[in-house]
Amino acid sequence: MTDLPATPTRTTMASFDARALRKTVLDMAFAGSTVHIGCAFSIIELLAVLYRSHLRYPGNDPQATDRDYLVLSKGHGVMAQYACMRELGWLKDEAFSGYFADGSDLKGLSDSRIPGLEVTSGSLGHGFSVGLGMAMGAKLRGTDQKTYALVGDGEINEGPIWEGALFAAHHELKNFIVIVDENGFQAMGRTQDVLRLGAIQSKFESFGFEARTIDGHDEAAIDHAIEQLWASSSTAPKALIAKTVKGKGVPFMEHNNIWHYTRLNQETYAQALAAVAGSAS
Amino acid sequence: MRAAFSDTLVRLAKADPNVLLLTGDHGYALFDDFRRECPAQYINAGIAEQNMVGMAAGLARTGFRPFVYGLSAFIPVRVLEQIKLDIAHDHLPVILIGDGAGFVYSHLGTSHQSTEDMACTRAIPDLSVYSPADRFEVSACMALAYQTKVPVYLRMGKSDRGDVHTHDLSQVKAGQLLQVKAGQAGAISLIATGALVRTALDIAQASYPEASVWSAPFIKPMDSQQVITICAQSRAVMVLEEHSVLGGLGSVITEIASEFAPVRILRVGVQDRFSQHCGTYEYLLKEHGLDRPAVEQRIRDFLIAN
Repeated sequence: MTDLPATPTRTTMASFDARALRKTVLDMAFAGSTVHIGCAFSIIELLAVLYRSHLRYPGNDPQATDRDYLVLSKGHGVMAQYACMRELGWLKDEAFSGYFADGSDLKGLSDSRIPGLEVTSGSLGHGFSVGLGMAMGAKLRGTDQKTYALVGDGEINEGPIWEGALFAAHHELKNFIVIVDENGFQAMGRTQDVLRLGAIQSKFESFGFEARTIDGHDEAAIDHAIEQLWASSSTAPKALIAKTVKGKGVPFMEHNNIWHYTRLNQETYAQALAAVAGSAS
Repeated sequence: MRAAFSDTLVRLAKADPNVLLLTGDHGYALFDDFRRECPAQYINAGIAEQNMVGMAAGLARTGFRPFVYGLSAFIPVRVLEQIKLDIAHDHLPVILIGDGAGFVYSHLGTSHQSTEDMACTRAIPDLSVYSPADRFEVSACMALAYQTKVPVYLRMGKSDRGDVHTHDLSQVKAGQLLQVKAGQAGAISLIATGALVRTALDIAQASYPEASVWSAPFIKPMDSQQVITICAQSRAVMVLEEHSVLGGLGSVITEIASEFAPVRILRVGVQDRFSQHCGTYEYLLKEHGLDRPAVEQRIRDFLIAN
């Protein structure tokens, strides 16, 4: 229906070093006295690999008509995406310096008014469906644009996820990948205790997805799995289940759900910075 | 009215391949023409309204012009948050069609009746709310929604109560009140929306020849200046709607008048309660005091008291 180019090209040369991204998140969280650090740290490597190796933004333009789409449905992790967008030059240091101050544009949850963020999320279960619409749009237009929807494991409590899973499989949206950040926690506790999810991969497979489970902090594994899913000849939508650690990179935050809510003070900030600086990327 | 809806939709879709129709597994015979004429632009998203509305936002982001169809009990009420966050927040040109508004599904009970949809939607920023009264208004509202490229909720009520206009309304502007009966300054005015415009017109023609009658196909935006003028020139204003008296057209008119042109206003609508019984559409109107004799009596009582 349009004359969009069939194959957008990649242009970014940013490194997306996981340690640097975590440091940016810590700086933001400390300066702005904000929460959701654990939510951001579990998806650092996933975002780093996507931006470094897979997402196509022609001209490094976050609003390029023929871009791929990354929908951060779990809006609570937006600080990780802000950090990546800084690497891309889409967000300048000035935007970070006033984070959470009166009049700041960068909100605590994803807001689509920031170029580079595709949806306004935070209320959970929305981005998945919007992403499906984008994938359906690309299919109808006959372009090869890809859509990635990053959801939390707690988020998939929400009904629209499963409504959408039915739709994606029925309409053979092979250009769509849902990435599940399976860190095992949701706001009030372990997913196992709040609303047991069971085997996420087999759930998506039973809906008709082609699915894989990987270590969500192993960048080579993430990269390889995404390559393999795209290389598949199947017409099925894809699901990548990423086993992650909430608060990854800072030992006293890892597996400790209090860092969904807790703000950094001078001492914990210094300790976290030291931990991140010493961690392997 | 439903024929006008279908015809207009087919016309828009044939002229613009970006027009898509999404339905939540509703509108079986209504979409026969659309499915025949524009099969590639038709998506039955299944009984999954939340996902459907979110997808419509995604499709609009990629340049499509989605019309999202459902019963007004579900679209917009069930998916209010998707409308707010996914569509209205970003001014996406998605047109939401809520069919069967008010008591149209009279026999089916509370789940399929819809008397709160206008109140819910008009509080969402940047979302327009249209409520056409007859086939001419349906066509005009749909064309306007398509042209203005803003998010719109269009509520369709009873389709077989007769036209209130006699001609095409293609020149209508969003927010405009449409006079369906001329009256005299200093007399009462009746302002109605949807199915009750016909009732207002019948009552005025029979009992209040000096009254003016206005149809309000737009709940939001609303031409405030026009409302002020009507209120300033009226002895009293009667507002009629097949919707709760809380938050609908009566509230809109009263809010404007109270600030700029105080006048006695009677709000005739659904009181704050659910239907108690089922029956025909006419029976439900009577149960809620919205049948013609009941409305006439309320107007008489109001004028005696004021």
